[in-house]
Amino acid sequence: MTRLTFALLGLVPLMALSAPAAAQLRIDITSGTEQPMPIAVPAFPTAAVVATPAGTTADLGRQVADVISANLSGTGLFKPINRDAFPAPSVADVPSPQFGGFRTAAAQALATGTVTANPDGTLTIGCYLYDVFSEEQLLRQGFTVTPAGWRRAAHKCSDLVYSRLTGESGYFDSRIVYVAESGPKTKRVKRLAVMDQDGANHRFLTSGQSLVLMPRFSPASETLSYMSFSGDQPRVWIYSLGTGRQEAVGAFDSMSFAGRFSPDGRTLVFSVTRSGNSDIYAYDIASKTTRRLTSGNSIDTSPSFSPDGRRIVFESDRGGAQQLYVMNADGSNAQRISFGDGRAGSPVWSPRGDLIAFTRMQGSKFRIAVIKPDGSGERLLTDSWQDESPSWSPNGRVILFGRTERNGRSSLRSIDLTGRNDRRIPTPLEASDPSWGPLLK
Amino acid sequence: MTEGRALLLAAGLHLLLLLGLSLGLANHIPRFDSEPDVTPVEFLDIADMAQVTKPPEPSMEAAPREAGPPAPADTIAPVPPVPAPPLPPEPQVKADDMAPQDAIAEEVKKAPPPRAAPQKAKPKQDFDAGSMAALIDKSKPDAPVKPKDTSQFAKTIEQALPRQSRLSPIQAATLEQAIRAQIAPCWNPPIGGADVAGMTAVLRIRLNRDGTVAAPPEFVSQTGASAGNQAYARAFVETARRAVLRCAPLELPDDLYSYWREFELNFDPRLMT
Repeated sequence: MTRLTFALLGLVPLMALSAPAAAQLRIDITSGTEQPMPIAVPAFPTAAVVATPAGTTADLGRQVADVISANLSGTGLFKPINRDAFPAPSVADVPSPQFGGFRTAAAQALATGTVTANPDGTLTIGCYLYDVFSEEQLLRQGFTVTPAGWRRAAHKCSDLVYSRLTGESGYFDSRIVYVAESGPKTKRVKRLAVMDQDGANHRFLTSGQSLVLMPRFSPASETLSYMSFSGDQPRVWIYSLGTGRQEAVGAFDSMSFAGRFSPDGRTLVFSVTRSGNSDIYAYDIASKTTRRLTSGNSIDTSPSFSPDGRRIVFESDRGGAQQLYVMNADGSNAQRISFGDGRAGSPVWSPRGDLIAFTRMQGSKFRIAVIKPDGSGERLLTDSWQDESPSWSPNGRVILFGRTERNGRSSLRSIDLTGRNDRRIPTPLEASDPSWGPLLK
Repeated sequence: MTEGRALLLAAGLHLLLLLGLSLGLANHIPRFDSEPDVTPVEFLDIADMAQVTKPPEPSMEAAPREAGPPAPADTIAPVPPVPAPPLPPEPQVKADDMAPQDAIAEEVKKAPPPRAAPQKAKPKQDFDAGSMAALIDKSKPDAPVKPKDTSQFAKTIEQALPRQSRLSPIQAATLEQAIRAQIAPCWNPPIGGADVAGMTAVLRIRLNRDGTVAAPPEFVSQTGASAGNQAYARAFVETARRAVLRCAPLELPDDLYSYWREFELNFDPRLMT
């Protein structure tokens, strides 16, 4: 008995040796919060308050932080924290912040920077991002701008912060072109207008004497296509924002419309209507040659390239009702991809490539929807009266569109592709038919 | 105690030894120890623009910088690799920290009695040599069961046994629930990304006895990352790491500390949109 007991006790240390580490727990975290991330964006401090044509460097420090806060807040993914909740950093704090105050304010990230007036009259705006919990510096970049260009530096900084924290490319340093509408329904004046994505720097491009429709930014350059009723024939024009130069696309004896650029900006695809039948054509901008891509008796229109330039999504009534089709860029192998309730139109391929946004029409109700290029995974994103003309942000994350209310008023709105964050884009007049341009170079 | 019963007990303890060995082995699977590859964010060159304003030029000239050489202007300092985890410092047990958290208490209510979640519970129930002897004795129904006889001996063994061999499935589930309930509300995964559907990340967590983080969460592995989505993959791992740092200190049963001193979290947002 005693022998055995000792034998048993002798086993005990052996057993302790045999299991040197705890059998490790591995726990799946399969859900999280979808609350916006709290971020601190204090006014950017300045080492010396200097007057500039755009205001003092101290004022600019506040305004830069305001622009960044508004950009981040507008994504629906971030919640800038009230600046009273944490101590304002000094210039010396920016490269090595005191994180305690930001943690107390429940900030998870700190976006800050400095504004410095240079002897040559330019400004340098420093942009810093920190993880408040790990106290790591996530990015640091400076931008030298003219005082009048401070907004672009703020947008660039916003893009860096957004990109670093989400892993997606930014979209704040970009512009929107759209149709500004004014006047009574019977004598509606429609003008092309362009503005920053946040509504700033708004200006009109056309006088309103002739009707303009369907402006589209080139994804590659500061160039637009649009449809104008000026002259003898409604047709597609190309307009260079840089030079102001315009040219008519092709020479057709009938109406051309719904132009859209290829991802490299070298080709324009559009529709030409002849006796009630529309077909899709491709126009090579350099050689000014035109190629027909579809034929037949159906109405084929609204072409949009995939980001790799190899395929085109378009709408067609060849199957009876208006639906979406995808074909090769040379016009071959068209396949229907939309089948749900109602009609589907005005498709536009995401710059990310994974989705196609379009307008789903059910009765008199128009809603913005997305679908995968293979026709699966259709999701309705909006539910208003008439939402149409979707256009993607340069990073393929947000969809801009036009909304018409039952009272006839029209405005621009944007929505995240998750279906959240349906928000109005401010415009001075009523607005429709927006197109989001590429990130500025 | 008869020699026969002692032999039975020896047989039972050998079984435990085998169990301990198998658990120990499971821990020796090689793991990745490195950070996921990081992609430096390239700065956009802002060329001249026709209208609006003169474009900003990237420059660090006048931007304040920390002591030491400035980072190259066209790169961003990558996330530093997580340092080798130091050994957890001496546990600092504060009486206040021991109070069971509500979430745990909830779990405790749901779970059947042999509960170890309340920290004050005696660990005695975890290994009841008496009942074990009873189990063994089932093979010999004729033998009279006297659990009390072995209790003192059992206690001696129990104290000497490594704690890890004693986590019951219920305790494990409860502990997992308690950790999950505290981490999930702090995790803000980057939803809506093109590649979010198939992405997961595993971090190794080391905690002090008071629930604070003993070492930065260590990257173990990741799925769904590719050459084309490295910025996204990095941001994904960072959200997971932030969730742990944000939620600490975790409130977990003190008597199970040996199980939650080190564990792994697999962040997998598949159940989200």
